[in-house]
Amino acid sequence: MWRETLPNAWSFDYSQKNAVLVPVAALGVGGMLLYWLRSGRKIKTIDMGEGWWGAGERPPKGKEDTSIRPFKIETSDKEIEDLHQRLDRFRFTPSVEGAAFHYGFNSSYLRKVVAYWRNQFDWRKQVEVLNKYPHFHTTIEGIDIHFIHVKPSYVPHGQAVRPLLMVHGWPGSFYEFYKIIPLLTEPAKHGLNEGDVVFEVICPSIPGYGFSEAPHQKEFDSIATARIFHKLMNRLGFKEYYLQGGDWGARITTNMAQMLPQSVKGLHLNVVFVTLEGLGKVISIMLGAYVPWLVGFSREDARRLYPFMQKNIYDVLRESGYLHIQATKPDTAGCGLNDSPVGLAAYIMEKFSTWTDKSFLHKDDGGLESKYSLDELLTNVMIYWVTSSIVSSMRYYKENFSKDPNIHNRVGVYVPTGIAAFPQELLHAPRVWAKDVYKNIITYTYMPRGGHFAAFEEPKLLAQDIMQFVRKVEQL
Amino acid sequence: MLLEVFLVLGTLLIYFLFSKKDEETLPFKDGWWGRGQKPVTKEDSSIRPFKVETAEEELSDLFRRLDQARFTEPLENSFFHYGTNSVHLRKVVSYWKNQFNWKKQVEVLNNYPQFKTKIQGIDIHFVHVKPPCLPEGQAAKPLLMVHGWPGSFYEFYKIIPLLTDPASHGLGDEHIFEVICPSIPGYGFSEAPHKKDFNSVSAASVFYELMLRLGFSEFYTQGGDCGWLICTNLAQIAPSHVKGLHLNMVLVTKLGLSHLLSILLGRYFPGLFGFQDEDVRRMFPFLKKWLHKILSEFGYAHIQTTKPDTVGCGLNDSPVGLAAYILEKFSSWTDMEFQNLEDGGLERKFSLDDLLTNIMIYWVSGCIVSSMRFYKENLQKGIGTQKHDKLTVQVPTGIAAFPNEILHIPQAWAKKKYTNIVSFHFMPRGGHFAAFEEPELLAKDILQFVDKVEKEQLWKKKGE
Repeated sequence: MWRETLPNAWSFDYSQKNAVLVPVAALGVGGMLLYWLRSGRKIKTIDMGEGWWGAGERPPKGKEDTSIRPFKIETSDKEIEDLHQRLDRFRFTPSVEGAAFHYGFNSSYLRKVVAYWRNQFDWRKQVEVLNKYPHFHTTIEGIDIHFIHVKPSYVPHGQAVRPLLMVHGWPGSFYEFYKIIPLLTEPAKHGLNEGDVVFEVICPSIPGYGFSEAPHQKEFDSIATARIFHKLMNRLGFKEYYLQGGDWGARITTNMAQMLPQSVKGLHLNVVFVTLEGLGKVISIMLGAYVPWLVGFSREDARRLYPFMQKNIYDVLRESGYLHIQATKPDTAGCGLNDSPVGLAAYIMEKFSTWTDKSFLHKDDGGLESKYSLDELLTNVMIYWVTSSIVSSMRYYKENFSKDPNIHNRVGVYVPTGIAAFPQELLHAPRVWAKDVYKNIITYTYMPRGGHFAAFEEPKLLAQDIMQFVRKVEQL
Repeated sequence: MLLEVFLVLGTLLIYFLFSKKDEETLPFKDGWWGRGQKPVTKEDSSIRPFKVETAEEELSDLFRRLDQARFTEPLENSFFHYGTNSVHLRKVVSYWKNQFNWKKQVEVLNNYPQFKTKIQGIDIHFVHVKPPCLPEGQAAKPLLMVHGWPGSFYEFYKIIPLLTDPASHGLGDEHIFEVICPSIPGYGFSEAPHKKDFNSVSAASVFYELMLRLGFSEFYTQGGDCGWLICTNLAQIAPSHVKGLHLNMVLVTKLGLSHLLSILLGRYFPGLFGFQDEDVRRMFPFLKKWLHKILSEFGYAHIQTTKPDTVGCGLNDSPVGLAAYILEKFSSWTDMEFQNLEDGGLERKFSLDDLLTNIMIYWVSGCIVSSMRFYKENLQKGIGTQKHDKLTVQVPTGIAAFPNEILHIPQAWAKKKYTNIVSFHFMPRGGHFAAFEEPELLAKDILQFVDKVEKEQLWKKKGE
């Protein structure tokens, strides 16, 4: 039909008006097309916003103290004695027969842990261990942010040093990174001569955790944390850096990548949060059991995801009681834990058992010492104890879950992303689902072993994955 | 010929329609909950008098812990939105240390005769109060009242005299009760089960044995919270022994299409779904009054159902932590608006002495962990999955629906389970801890319910 009209359109039989109209229309359509193409490429970011978390009113426009102050963890006889007294007067409740770890932390095993804590655990020595890396404090948005900053002691000629921010989660701390740090700052020394990148590692404590001051105002969420950590890196003089995280750290680093993608060279995660909503997901879950390849699942994906109800619904319900109470009544849940060190240890260490390996539920000792030493586990607990940060650490759940969690997922992540999928992680996110949010996945690795606390449990595996990811990014 | 066929068909149809309701009784659950193996010898079934005791050491240990409590400052302007506010908690702890007199409260507890008896391997504690005087020719009606979590037998201390001696309290003397308030195994002074799987049916079976041991073959039962479930199970196990079942809380665990429809449309066509105006007022907007409330208030149930030993551990070691955890419920479950108050509205309906006495029962008996295990034993397989969830209750039932109860269940829903509802009243005020908060209102409702049952001899009609 147009074959007939077009010659007519161009013939002198049509008025001058049409002769102008058509090219204008063409330009218009072309322009719209161009705009649409461009805006499709335009990356949406999360608004940075601003905040004030100090006590009381924000002081009028005065310059905030931006100094970076060295810090050393200290302890005292008084602190240790108070702890010992509380351990001595702990009131046990015998477990029901055959409980193992099915009712939570087994009380017979807890007695052994407490005996070790009281008689063999040496907090002064552990404080020295903690102080082996340089610690600092700096004030951002009204609160003191604690972080460790470890530089390689020796950089061979020609090697680049890349800044790497590693963010912990709950109930972890900066201490989780102590074994992986040397593998990243001095890989050659540890048999990891991979690539020509070494890192200087910065591990902050999330505000409200450990030695970072807790926010005094409501609504301190992962976006605020992301902004504060960007400011921290900026203050340390870094314009571009790598990020690594699991648990809350994964959410915070993801937000950081969504907020200032131009500052994030690469984002490495050992946990990916996926939402199970949307018809597409439901269909892929149902079909994936029978024809995994059709919905983009690999055989390993299928192995980790199914049986679906058991692994993703039932297991999650069984393990998320803490999340439910912390997201609604953190001050209640944390109150007794800040007063009873044994209660605190049971609550925290239960996670180090079940989230490391689900089969540990059947063991009388929760399998804890098969992957960690009691010294390591108790040092992490002590960080929560000596800083009295359990309640503020729990409030983070309420502040983050009160809002629509999907607001982050709608803003994609476009920075180069590397995902290390550990087999014992609570929820497995197949690459095809992770792509919904992470648009630029450079590496996705099925790790051979390990659970939720990847850096703590399998530092070498995680370090290797981070390095192979960064190597690929550097080549881009 | 056709007529006969129709008659037969009609009868069959009616039979099927009526027998759709599962009128099976719930089997009695026998068990052995003591330590180790069940001994061969016969169990000691004596009933031993019991008195709550305290010692200096117990008090000085408590005071030391209160003195050394470590508090965390609340966020600015957070009231009770994040849980128990620690600024107010400090005040409570100060009262606890300096004014609360545990020795005096122990005497208060010992005002009513208490006993212990071994059933199914564990010591069951109970209060047994007989009427001080009975008019000529009248027998006291036995009434079993079961508490819940985080309550105790102490919740009934104000209502007991209204039921054993109603005349002295202006409530007439037609029905006089002797009241039995046991402690659920694992709560207060009842021994905690040493074996897994002690659920509401186990508790109901134990209490059934208790009532039989006390010589009662017919009795009334009353309960809310866990007590609601235990008394319901008891009515399902032994309907011929339970004359009447009175509840101040009801939950439904089987939600079907009709429920869904009534949720979606009940606000606009209440009559169609059997809703009264007050039902609509209490249930809608649905998201706010149900979904949001369940999410915000049931975290404790979620963690207690899955990891009771973990969450209870610290609470058995920190009296302040225990108080914070328990007091939070006495605040929001009495009135959800109390969350907006700096003091959680705690002393608006209860005295600190009463609240702390209840907490002390958990503290001195060290029972918080075993009390929480009850949630796991009942809910670990999921809500509505047990046999008793699928069976109905035919025993005459009276329901007192308090306005500030956590979730309101309309009679239209309740009657699917409780097929013989004799009275259903919207109470004018009060929340979850009905006996503790509004003893007179509750006593009146129990009395009018029992009156109906007795006058119409309703307990004889069931089963026909």
